[in-house]
Amino acid sequence: MKGVKLSRDRDGRLCVERFPLWRRVEHIAVILTFTTLVLTGFPQKFYDASWAETLLSLFGGLDDARTIHRVAGIVFAVLTALHLAVIVLGAITKRIRMSLVPTPQDLRDAWQNLRFYFGLRESQPKMPKFDYRQKFEYIGMVMGSLIMVLTGAILLWPVETGGIIGGEALAASRIAHSNEAVLALLVLVVWHVYSAVLAPDVFPLDKSMFNGKMTVEELKHRHTLEYERLFPAGDPEVELAEVDGEAKADGAEGAASEAPAAKPEEGEPKTPAV
Amino acid sequence: MDCHSDSEDSLELGDGTEVSVSISEEHWKKNVHAGEIGCTDCHTAISDYPHPDVEAKDLRDYQINRAETCKRCHYAHFTRVADSIHYKQFEEGNRNAPTCVDCHGAHDIAVPGEPRMAVDERCAQCHAEISDAYRRSVHGKALLESNNPDVPVCTDCHGSHQIKDPRNADFHAASYQICAKCHSDADRMERYGLNPDVVDTYLDDFHGASNALYAEGLGRPDKKLATCTSCHGIHDIPSFKEADKSVVRARVLKTCRECHEEVPDGFQDAWLSHYPPTLSEAPLVWLVKWFYRVVIPLIMLGLVLHILMHLWRFRFRRPGGHR
Repeated sequence: MKGVKLSRDRDGRLCVERFPLWRRVEHIAVILTFTTLVLTGFPQKFYDASWAETLLSLFGGLDDARTIHRVAGIVFAVLTALHLAVIVLGAITKRIRMSLVPTPQDLRDAWQNLRFYFGLRESQPKMPKFDYRQKFEYIGMVMGSLIMVLTGAILLWPVETGGIIGGEALAASRIAHSNEAVLALLVLVVWHVYSAVLAPDVFPLDKSMFNGKMTVEELKHRHTLEYERLFPAGDPEVELAEVDGEAKADGAEGAASEAPAAKPEEGEPKTPAV
Repeated sequence: MDCHSDSEDSLELGDGTEVSVSISEEHWKKNVHAGEIGCTDCHTAISDYPHPDVEAKDLRDYQINRAETCKRCHYAHFTRVADSIHYKQFEEGNRNAPTCVDCHGAHDIAVPGEPRMAVDERCAQCHAEISDAYRRSVHGKALLESNNPDVPVCTDCHGSHQIKDPRNADFHAASYQICAKCHSDADRMERYGLNPDVVDTYLDDFHGASNALYAEGLGRPDKKLATCTSCHGIHDIPSFKEADKSVVRARVLKTCRECHEEVPDGFQDAWLSHYPPTLSEAPLVWLVKWFYRVVIPLIMLGLVLHILMHLWRFRFRRPGGHR
């Protein structure tokens, strides 16, 4: 058992920590800013829709909605910058495991998974901590955020940036900002909501991004490779008892559910769990 | 009529002015009302002879009071006038603000707006400078030179009775809709080889979308809003059909700088000449637009298919092993 915080849920099932607290806070911050940006941004894109008027008046008119949009955008940009800074720092200090970086194996997983869907394979391929679908969404989210932050900054300071990038790029930024927003919202509503809320295997909600935990049982089925990595001996209960015993022998306090982590996993980029 | 045609009598008003009471039959016959209503229908105080004294202080007073007469039949027009900037001026004490007879005449009331140039002439009685500018514009020239029925005269943009103050923010924000009446009319634009997308392309841009929302009443801009007239002018709108591109672009940049003082040269290229982006004119914008046009449906199709396959496998082909 290496480097993972264990706990038990209310039913006494053993759980691994999937997302540390600050990742969960980051996720909630993203939910809030993203929602605000959508609610204040889309009525500007679809200015002639009747709901645009209703929505904007909720925010106190166009000018107030724009101010809110810009503030939320700046907050979102800071979140994006922090997120990337953690990855860069983590990569330099080697304290981060790049569990969300796509690898050739992900392509093979996708192919095998499709074969499984078509009935050409009896079982799903063994997935790592984050499977190819989650990596796709995560990378999409990071790339999309970069595009939104960049074009958003250009649109916020058109005079200053126009001198550097030229007038035509201003028009292109506007098109990119507005289309990327549509893409982001569609992926979120269709793909993320399906995989984290509506999919039969997680319905009614995959809570791991909110309580940070996933049961070892679920981990074993859905992220088998990660399970095997964490519990190479194959029986977490036995391993837990061993660690627990050592802890007690050291005179440490705490219940079995608070097993100490040898090396807390830090800096794993957030992703919604499927 | 017997007494008043070619009469040399005159009437003394309160301030001592003498007003001729003569009216020629020829003059009266020009009146759209001729044959429909009689003298006393308007001159209601007069029922027998000798006529009662006229109570007007002066001629202007008499003219203003005629509105009461017109109102008896044209009440709807009267109420519209009551909402106008002209009536507001009158209420504020400007006795020269136009009343019915100033525009329509008295005994020679003609069908309004015929000929169309007559509208301009009437407004020019007070708004001479604006009329001069209008006559220099592409619209005014076409009317003067060929009596073009498609170009606007004063009332087409300002209305006739319910004329609003064109200097306020509401009028400014809604003014693109006035231009759109003709310039979004594809048939009318085709007759002159003009681009019918000018208003739509404006609205799809940042200033246009803001303008549309402000026009819906979602707040009031604290800055001057760039609209059609900001670049094209108001009454002296020139034709840009044959204009040199660089001249037009220089004009746009000048307009940008009216609000965004610091904008660098080249800023005007953010404006795509009222046309959708093309590969030759605005390659970067075109590429970005088509990139998303292709990528969004492709990604979404892929994701939806993936979801459907997942559901299908889950529902019908649930394997014996783990889920």
